[in-house]
Amino acid sequence: MSAQSYPGRRRTTWVIFIALCVFTFINLTPLIWAVLTSLKDPRDAFTIPPTIIFEPTLKYHIEVWTENDFVFYLMNSLIISAGTVFISVPAGSLAAYALSRIPRRSAGPILSALFTIRMFPHMLLAIPFFVMGTFLNMIDTYPLLILALVAINQPFTIWLMHGFFLEIPRDLDEAAAIDGCSNWQAFRIVILPLARPGMTVAALFSLLLSYNEFLFALILTGTDTKTLPVAIASFGGEDISSWSLSAAGAIGIMLPIVLVMLLLQRHLVRGLTAGAVKG
Amino acid sequence: MAPLTIQQATKSFGGVQVLHGVTIDIDDGEFVVLVGPSGCGKSTLLRLIAGLEDITSGGILIDGKDVSRLHPKDRDIAMVFQSYALYPHMTVAENMGFSLRMRGAKSDEQRRKVGQAAGILDLDALLDRYPRQLSGGQRQRVAMGRAIVRDPKVFLFDEPLSNLDAKLRVQMRSEIRTLHKKLKTTIVYVTHDQIEAMTMADKIVVMRGGHVEQIGSPMTLYDAPANVFVAGFIGSPAMNLLKGRIGADAQSFDLDAGGALQFTSALDARPGQSVILGIRPEDVTLSDNGSPATVKLIEPTGADLHVNLDVAGSDITAVFHERLSLKEGQEVSLELPADCVHLFDAETETRLSA
Amino acid sequence: MVRWQRGLWLFFLPSFGLLALVLLWPLSYAVYLSFFDYYLGSGERTFIGLGNYVDLLTEARLWNSMRTTIIIAFGSVAVEFLVGFALALALYRLHGSAKVFSVLLFLPHIVTPVVAALFLKWMLASNWGFVDATLLTFNIEPPDWLGDPVWAKVSVILADAWVFTPLVMMVLYAALQGLDTSLLEAAQIDGASSWNTLRHVIVPALIPAIIFVISIRLMDVFRFFDLIYVLTGGGPGTATETITIYTYQLGFRMLEVGKASALGVITLIVVAMLLLTINRGLNKAYRGGDR
Ligand SMILES: Nc1ncnc2c1ncn2[C@@H]1O[C@H](COP(=O)(O)OP(=O)(O)OP(=O)(O)O)[C@@H](O)[C@H]1O
Ligand SMILES: [Mg+2]
Repeated sequence: MSAQSYPGRRRTTWVIFIALCVFTFINLTPLIWAVLTSLKDPRDAFTIPPTIIFEPTLKYHIEVWTENDFVFYLMNSLIISAGTVFISVPAGSLAAYALSRIPRRSAGPILSALFTIRMFPHMLLAIPFFVMGTFLNMIDTYPLLILALVAINQPFTIWLMHGFFLEIPRDLDEAAAIDGCSNWQAFRIVILPLARPGMTVAALFSLLLSYNEFLFALILTGTDTKTLPVAIASFGGEDISSWSLSAAGAIGIMLPIVLVMLLLQRHLVRGLTAGAVKG
Repeated sequence: MAPLTIQQATKSFGGVQVLHGVTIDIDDGEFVVLVGPSGCGKSTLLRLIAGLEDITSGGILIDGKDVSRLHPKDRDIAMVFQSYALYPHMTVAENMGFSLRMRGAKSDEQRRKVGQAAGILDLDALLDRYPRQLSGGQRQRVAMGRAIVRDPKVFLFDEPLSNLDAKLRVQMRSEIRTLHKKLKTTIVYVTHDQIEAMTMADKIVVMRGGHVEQIGSPMTLYDAPANVFVAGFIGSPAMNLLKGRIGADAQSFDLDAGGALQFTSALDARPGQSVILGIRPEDVTLSDNGSPATVKLIEPTGADLHVNLDVAGSDITAVFHERLSLKEGQEVSLELPADCVHLFDAETETRLSA
Repeated sequence: MVRWQRGLWLFFLPSFGLLALVLLWPLSYAVYLSFFDYYLGSGERTFIGLGNYVDLLTEARLWNSMRTTIIIAFGSVAVEFLVGFALALALYRLHGSAKVFSVLLFLPHIVTPVVAALFLKWMLASNWGFVDATLLTFNIEPPDWLGDPVWAKVSVILADAWVFTPLVMMVLYAALQGLDTSLLEAAQIDGASSWNTLRHVIVPALIPAIIFVISIRLMDVFRFFDLIYVLTGGGPGTATETITIYTYQLGFRMLEVGKASALGVITLIVVAMLLLTINRGLNKAYRGGDR
């Protein structure tokens, strides 16, 4: 803005800047505290006043991944997340493409319906999944949890991909049709290569959603398929005697997400509002 | 290469009718231009021919065969889009060869035909580039290349030049003309630019509000516009159109806005008849005894002089090819040759005589 | 649909087939179950019509959990909206350096919810938690953040706000960036104060984004589970037991799946009504207030 050079304005900007610095710092204390705790030996962890300066140790970070089953839980998490992505993103992309190409008046109600599905309490879905899973003897198997995650993920994927497909001009479909493509060929040969960045984004978001998911994982998994969030909840939630160890685990779970999110930065708002990574 | 016939084509979107029974006969190898103001249904008609929109009623015949229910790929047409619609992830060669590939042509045949088309359009050096690495004019040419490799029965162009700058537009205009002379394929070309229409067409179709107003050669439309709309649409600057009544001696014209125009010979209409009188700016001349007028505005274009005149309260535009030393505010008298006058019925707005 | 595009209907098949299989069918099954007295432990199932609904609506625990949910929902959404909006405005004002801040401020939202809950739990843990240890250093006796009925609610609200304020901030910030700057410049030229610009120019222009973000937050608060489950488990007693936690207890602890399904259906109805009311109310307030 052009008015920026007025001295009064500049002072306000500085006040805002400093206030924001302070707020950000306070806001991040829980995270910083957890990082510090994960690097502490018990004698530094249980002190009053809290120790800020101490000799850090990576012992617990190493221990949690080597001596506990965290690698196994990580594998479960990855298998389940990947399974969800491989089902949800292709199916969702096909539907989203069609939605973006049919007339608005047909697409509108479908999109609203999909958005309304967001409203369903997940509990209402968890119960029948649990009951059917029990009957079919599928509790504590990968497919059951994957299907549940696909259910909560699919509307989100369609919404997100729909936005990406809308950005690809319809002229290309028409040119392809005239050049001799069926709808499927136009999609596969012309549109899909152009939608690939969007699909990557959708895949990463679905991956996060599945990786973070807790309720269904808690209910539908057991010893064989337990995922990281369920493991860390039972591990770190109980008592704080192995505090540094759970903190190390928690940080370890968090790190890959931070990386993925940094990759996704440009698309954050879009992805989050299309269906939120959480919930 | 084939004749194309559009029979009583109508099109409605939902409840809104956009085309009201359009009938056009196009001969084999003819270059037909559809013109009309924005929203008159030109693109819609073109897309009906291409099969990108479903026809509501009526028929479209290519080479005598009704194609109006066929998939676009089965109509043997090619289309050049306003946006060019080049596939961004394919090279120029791949773009041009795509339709051959989809029709199962062998790769050496593809290469041969693409090479041929590239030769015609002077694209040989660009075959390995991607569309984003091309200038607007080059993209335009690739889009045409993609259309011609297939040697279709009909080419469809939807405002292909509207994204180019003025100079390039003139150049591409003649290139497309030359191309048509070479290939002799039937072309349906949409534009809202009447100069493009006049310079390129064998036959012009003027449309308005989903109706065909007139079909004819450029000079027919210019010399004998069928109605007031066509008269005002074709020609630049536009024809002067004045409402009024033929005077008692048939040599004068009483303007509704007040005042009268004088003619040297009789007008071809009943005295007292209510008409709309049209005269092209280039037919207006200065003389010593004519209708008095005041110069309001002078716009030199270099070659010509466009002059806005006030004649008894009505505006008249005149174009002079000679360099006159006129001044704004100057009083002059105009000669309006009666044989250059176009007369239209005041009610129906259709042409009164040939 | 245009003839050449008819094939597109087939593209819906995989997705809609999946949705029918994993969403619609289970949901209808849940509605069906809600009419049964069904204890999963023994597998005994008897049709009781609306029995579960009557039971639930006449018991104090449901109303208690409903009240708790509403307190937590409105408390946290209010905090999130006010703080999130303030942050969005601050970021908008800073533009240049906003990028770094927005990434840092966003961190709490991208952390796995369970992990975020643990982070907060370790802040609030009695004695050795950061908050207590700090207060004790200054000889202030801290309350039992997660064990006291009132403080537990406050903690849950703040926890929810910690995780979701960034989302509200981001959505509003994006909306602000989409604003036509000529609007703001015009207001400045007209000599409007910052406050008036905010009230009469910025807020009305952001109404759609505000409605949107408040709606999705309310939807999510009603079904959010991870934070409370890890932080308090609904305790102490039932002090932080929301409808969601209560449903979980009913269905997966007591295995009363019929009754739990009925509660799920009730939740759905409540959320739907709430959202309708909010959308109407906000729409009306906006239209009424601006003319
Ligand atoms: N898919 C559609 N749905 C509804 N109405 C449409 C659709 N496509 C075109 N129309 C309407 O049909 C009319 C004719 O549109 P068309 O695109 O054919 O005009 P045009 O002559 O090509 O105009 P322009 O010179 O602006 O390209 C317009 O009023 C337009 O609003
Ligand atoms: Mg058009």
